[in-house]
Amino acid sequence: MSRLVLAFDTATDRCALALGRWAVEHVETIATADFDAPRAALGRLLPAVRDLLISEGLAPGDLCEVVVGRGPGSFTGVRIGVATAKGLAHGLGTPLFGAGTLDAIAWACAGRFSGVLGVVGDAMRGEVYPALFELADGTARRLTDDRVAHPADVVAEWSARAAPLLLAGGGLRKHAAAFRALEQAGAQLLPEDLWLPGGAGLLAAYGAARAADHAGDGHPQTLLPIYTRLSDAEENERLRAGGQGEQP
Amino acid sequence: MSALSFVMETDSAAATRRAGAALGAAVHAGDVVILTGDLGAGKTVIAQGVASALGVSGHVTSPTFNILVVHRGSVGLAHFDLYRLERAEQLEDIDFWGVVEGDVVSLIEWGDRFPEALPADVLTLTLEITGDESRRIAVSASGERSGALAGSWRSACAGLDGVAVPGGRAPR
Repeated sequence: MSRLVLAFDTATDRCALALGRWAVEHVETIATADFDAPRAALGRLLPAVRDLLISEGLAPGDLCEVVVGRGPGSFTGVRIGVATAKGLAHGLGTPLFGAGTLDAIAWACAGRFSGVLGVVGDAMRGEVYPALFELADGTARRLTDDRVAHPADVVAEWSARAAPLLLAGGGLRKHAAAFRALEQAGAQLLPEDLWLPGGAGLLAAYGAARAADHAGDGHPQTLLPIYTRLSDAEENERLRAGGQGEQP
Repeated sequence: MSALSFVMETDSAAATRRAGAALGAAVHAGDVVILTGDLGAGKTVIAQGVASALGVSGHVTSPTFNILVVHRGSVGLAHFDLYRLERAEQLEDIDFWGVVEGDVVSLIEWGDRFPEALPADVLTLTLEITGDESRRIAVSASGERSGALAGSWRSACAGLDGVAVPGGRAPR
């Protein structure tokens, strides 16, 4: 039996959820069950996983790999997804791999569009997670690393690009006014159903990440979330450590 | 209407509650209201008034131990009590920004403990005990959205029994 993959991402207001199976060099989607669950992933993710398995006539023991969207996104959402994935993989005895939340969005867009795509994730607190991808022949190639930034800085930076961008991402909703400047310069807003990650895009991003050896080593213990913005606790710890270093 | 501040006076707990209900009739999802004042100043009475106007069923108390309770009403009402939090980073543990930026009305008791963590545009009510049951409520809006809310709330309070809104004079 081919290797079955369970994939989910809870970093945004939409819970991405899919079952896939390894083909030769990519993961085919068997079924998706994405659903909107703002601040409700904790209660709804595992029941949705159970329902998806049942609807496909499968049991948890049939799964060969677990894949989680590592963020960036909502701090709490990323924690819920990664913690649930670690618990599942540990309990099932399967490997655990990761893919980027913005990559999942980009791969879904790559199925329908070509060109340079700017994904704008919502970082809350007035900031966004921007990343550029090149979409061609149904694939998405990442051009920039994950980071957190102010919308105005992203708009200024992306305005300097020669060719108009495609735009997607949940951060466009809150910061529509800031990104209107890019639209006026010819950027194309992709349909809103592509702005948040889905299970099929997550599986596609994961297949490519595995092929490029970017999906982690498979150990549930070593997979890390992508927060991008250090948690305030980590930031304070870093500052405290730095401050102590300077004292006589 | 932009930033706005005024002071209202209430002559009883019932009047404070009526003022809260008028606020509840004026709020929209996305509004953030900070409630500050000593223990017993009436923060929870305001919250109860807001909740009643939003059609929340069940008793509303300060979520001192829960820290956050989300009530279901005509819009969701996220009622925070940050008294027990020690550090601003603990706000991530309750998904503070996810909730406040979601499609709910947020009422935040003791929100002044973490001013740097609050959104830029908030309505702040500072309650002060002026007698057994009478209260002075200093209202201050920090942006356009909260200014509009302050304005409509002030108008709605103008005719309320036991609630004095002195013509929008600016307090200092």
